Amino acid sequence: MASTEERVKQVIAKQLNVDISDVKDEARFIEDLGAESMQSLELIAAFEEEFDMSLDEDEAGKVKTVGQAVKFFEDLLEGKGNLT
Amino acid sequence: MKLCIFEDETFENFYPITLTRPTFDLRCGHTLLYEKILRAFPDMETCFFLRPQLAPTFRKKVEGKSVNDLSALNDDILMINGRTLFMDTDIQAEGDEEIGIMDNTLVYARVKKQTLDKCRADSFEAVLKNIKQVLQKKETSVILISYLWELFHNNGKAIEDDFNKLPQKGIFGNMAEGAIIYGDRSKVHIGKGTEIQPHTIIETAGGPVIIDEDVTVTPFTRIEGPCSIGKGTILFGTKLREGSSIGPVCRVGGEIEESIIHGYSNKYHDGFLGHAYIGEWVNLGALTTNSDLKNDYGSVQVYIKGQLFDTNDTKVGCFIGDYTKTSIGILLNTGTSIGVLCILVASGGMLPKYIPSLTWYYKGKIAKGYGLETMLETVKTSMNRRKKELTEEDIELLRYIKRATQDERNTIVRKARTENN
Repeated sequence: MASTEERVKQVIAKQLNVDISDVKDEARFIEDLGAESMQSLELIAAFEEEFDMSLDEDEAGKVKTVGQAVKFFEDLLEGKGNLT
Repeated sequence: MKLCIFEDETFENFYPITLTRPTFDLRCGHTLLYEKILRAFPDMETCFFLRPQLAPTFRKKVEGKSVNDLSALNDDILMINGRTLFMDTDIQAEGDEEIGIMDNTLVYARVKKQTLDKCRADSFEAVLKNIKQVLQKKETSVILISYLWELFHNNGKAIEDDFNKLPQKGIFGNMAEGAIIYGDRSKVHIGKGTEIQPHTIIETAGGPVIIDEDVTVTPFTRIEGPCSIGKGTILFGTKLREGSSIGPVCRVGGEIEESIIHGYSNKYHDGFLGHAYIGEWVNLGALTTNSDLKNDYGSVQVYIKGQLFDTNDTKVGCFIGDYTKTSIGILLNTGTSIGVLCILVASGGMLPKYIPSLTWYYKGKIAKGYGLETMLETVKTSMNRRKKELTEEDIELLRYIKRATQDERNTIVRKARTENN
């Protein structure tokens, strides 16, 4: 079974149509990966489907980089984060 | 004697517009429902009772008046259900104690202080319940607004009533040469500071026209009475048809029929709005259009409390909550209801008939938006452009709405996603 980090990065690569090798921890969604407004929304939807959970839009919106996204989902899956 | 205006338990019938305001703060005609009641009892001290989450914003709006304070019920009181369309009623402040009932709904209560003291309780609803048990009931007949579409269907009558009750009527603004009043000139009121530019036609055969102060009406606008236009609004070559009320500080173009725009909203461009109620700070993109009549002339269904409800009415357009924005070319079906703070992006077809608050509609499906905090920045920008501020009270109310609508939003977004997969 893939790790949370692998799952997060696969979702990002697929959703933003970028090579998985570009999905580095320090990569910023908007500036480096080109996630414009609509794509951000699609990314949130894709994460909800991948992890079968409802995310709080405001909490998800604070995530700016790939590394933050990995940490965000690791915390959620460990029960430390906020779902809606 | 005091006047008490209260909101009853039917407020959900008026969603999405009453997510952000009490029922008695809805517009019908040139004035709001509660303003009509205050006008009928101008010298009475007034208190209001409404849902607790709305109290801070409404308290700011009616500065100096008592809001949700049970200690204000310390005198003889005339209580009036705030969804009464207060025109030509026989409700009087003076008279014996009684409650006026219509279709099992309390319309008004005239209560002496001694009775009130015996009916005291820890909530306004409980006080009202106690009063109902002790006072004599009288059947009464008023227009009690029960659904949003009844506001625009009564709008023409309400404009006429507002016109008749204007303290001063006449043409106080500037009517350019080449602007025409077609019909009875005495049925037109134009406020101070208003400019009616050439090639405007104001037609009064169907009823009066109220144009408030500091309004600008640009060339090729046609206004059919009964119609009312709020202070500071600008009409851009608008085809403003009968029974429409535009609130203050709106920017309005295109074609509008028997619709109400609450205030501070933009519908600058072409596109048809018919039998609609639009909230505040709404922006309708170019060519946003709603249907208000089914092709089979059948009655229109509307979602209320999650269920489709038959309006028994053939002319019902759309309802759009505060702060919502539509892109160019949005097409809305008859009876469409769109929540507060939505972003709608056209995808070519008709939108779903129900879109919950704080969602986006794009690529033909309903999705979660960016979150409230990001949206608030956009709201602040649009309000600053009209020299208004989003207050802390407004923000708290929107946070409350976000929490209150979260489950519905999650359910509908999930369902939309499943249907599209």
